[in-house]
Amino acid sequence: MEFEFDEDQRLLQRLVRETVGKTQGRPEAELWRTYQELGWLEAPPVELAIVLDELGYVADPTPFLATATWFAPLAGRLPRGAGTGVCDGTGQFVLDADRADEVALLTRDGVRVVGGPELETERVPSFDPGLHVAHVRVPDLAPGIPDLTLMGLAISTVGSCRRILDLVVAHVKQRVQFGVPIGSFQAVKHKAADMYVAIERARALAYFSALTIAEDDPRRARAARMAKAAAGECQQVVFRHGLQLFGGMGFTWENELQIYLKRAKVGDLLLGAASVHRKALLS
Amino acid sequence: MRLAEDPEVEKFRADFSAFLDAHLPSESEAVPRPRSSSDVPDWARAWQRTLFDAGWLLPGNPPEYGGRNATLPQQLAHLEELARRQVYHSFNPQGLGIIAASLLTFGTQEQKQRWAVPILRAEITASLGMSEPGAGSDLAGLQTRAVADGDYFIVNGQKVWTSGAHDADVLLTFVRTDPQAAKHRGISVLLIPTDTEGVTRRPFGSIVSPDDLDFNEVFFTDARVPKENLVGQLNQGWTVAHGSLGHERTMLWLNYAERLDDLIRDAPSDQEWYATLLMDVQALRLLGYRQLSGGRDPAELSVLKLLGSEAVQAASLHALEDRGPEALVHPARTGPYSHMNNENFISSWFERYVRSFSGTIAGGTSEIQRNIIAERILGLPR
Repeated sequence: MEFEFDEDQRLLQRLVRETVGKTQGRPEAELWRTYQELGWLEAPPVELAIVLDELGYVADPTPFLATATWFAPLAGRLPRGAGTGVCDGTGQFVLDADRADEVALLTRDGVRVVGGPELETERVPSFDPGLHVAHVRVPDLAPGIPDLTLMGLAISTVGSCRRILDLVVAHVKQRVQFGVPIGSFQAVKHKAADMYVAIERARALAYFSALTIAEDDPRRARAARMAKAAAGECQQVVFRHGLQLFGGMGFTWENELQIYLKRAKVGDLLLGAASVHRKALLS
Repeated sequence: MRLAEDPEVEKFRADFSAFLDAHLPSESEAVPRPRSSSDVPDWARAWQRTLFDAGWLLPGNPPEYGGRNATLPQQLAHLEELARRQVYHSFNPQGLGIIAASLLTFGTQEQKQRWAVPILRAEITASLGMSEPGAGSDLAGLQTRAVADGDYFIVNGQKVWTSGAHDADVLLTFVRTDPQAAKHRGISVLLIPTDTEGVTRRPFGSIVSPDDLDFNEVFFTDARVPKENLVGQLNQGWTVAHGSLGHERTMLWLNYAERLDDLIRDAPSDQEWYATLLMDVQALRLLGYRQLSGGRDPAELSVLKLLGSEAVQAASLHALEDRGPEALVHPARTGPYSHMNNENFISSWFERYVRSFSGTIAGGTSEIQRNIIAERILGLPR
């Protein structure tokens, strides 16, 4: 196999990085329009993973993730406007259900698409203020989370973890104690190295999942679970060491670290935490 | 990115597989068993020579050095095929992977013919003299002295760990030739035949058993080494050290993937650690393949070593604990015997667990790997 981006994929990655770098902090509607104009919603799985890796890095506020990886794989098409999907059989904690124009429902009789405003939804207050999750009350739901949905959340979470590590590295290089940058202490270096290894591991498994989906390989279901479990494990290491290494400053509302810590934690808690998928891999 | 193998690589793998089918020694031929990493029984020497002559020993080498100028992905396919069948291509792995490889990179034509080819053809075996009692992670602090005296160097000092030295014919030895220079700049490399007067080898047991003799102390007392045995330039030993360990490290991750596969086979479990094990080996392979595609920072090899060695250690501990008091039994066999492989890999659960520490200590400790990742990849201050 070839497990490195090809030239087009590298170009896309560069473009996405430039775009999200330039547009960070712009109004949500403007971001959403930009992503649509650039055709990112139509990207095939590996390219979609490249986009989501970067959107996770900036804790993207738009309904992009839900539209591309919760709605599209269920409905088999893109929605009018923003979309999401209900596929865990409960209708609980559905990403962006409160602001979707269309919702794909996985029911015992197959997939049904309904207009978002027609549904009775209840937004859930969350520790991540940028997050939209809602409960949806619909009868006859069936469980069956698409591989793309797991992969999308996994790679977004890895993207947020990368941001946390970058912020931590910048912090420990400039924060001076005992007359030296704290990043020169091995106790700090080794935590940062462990964060890096956890990210590399989870990122590799997420892209492998995207690749198996793109090629409809028989390993795709297990690869998606591995990706989601590894992203959860990665987030555990990165959250713990990231907040620890930032010291008191990371504990404040003003510091942007909190935004990515929360988004990373959300990525583990939605659609089954690491432990859930590890257990599923054993059956 | 694509899942499919390159057809050229698949053809290569199939050719090698057919060769193995035709030439592998049988189980009854594969006795006696090797005692150390430089003890190669006659049957294993013949096997290594068969591979050499057919260009299947180290396929990345040119034909005169036991290869066929294979590409990196082909070399990986070769190692994967060996691993899949649990076959060692050499029972003197450091001779092949480090010493001969260093000589082919840094040695003179004469050294290649006189030392590298015999090592590759298993006519002689070799061990590596790097570490010293006072120079482990801080290898550049080594103090074994070599002083020029006419056509010779006079060597005094001590090496330790020197795996297989008591069974080796020659030691690739790192010595200090300029004590005045900065410590990285005063090191040279000498080939020291073990029958040189003044060379004393003392094997000592490992944590596994007093009879598990691979480690050695090697003492040099006025040992006279011909100047033609200098490998690379005088005082340029650090370059050779980097090159030598580089050879060892490029596909070293595959050894950890093999050990993880062994654990998947031998310690099936319905506990969550087993899922982590499945994920670790998958991630390790993916990162290893990516590394082969070229243009990657060599510092990323530290990620592979750290991930692989620590995953083996974690899973070995779970395997040990899962067995409860059954794991007290030692010696024991805990996996299927494979006559072309090293029995250490299927020894008692305790032995398998403690041997996992060779992955986190030898060849750059996990702590050193973390330093490399933090400093060279993340750019933290030294």
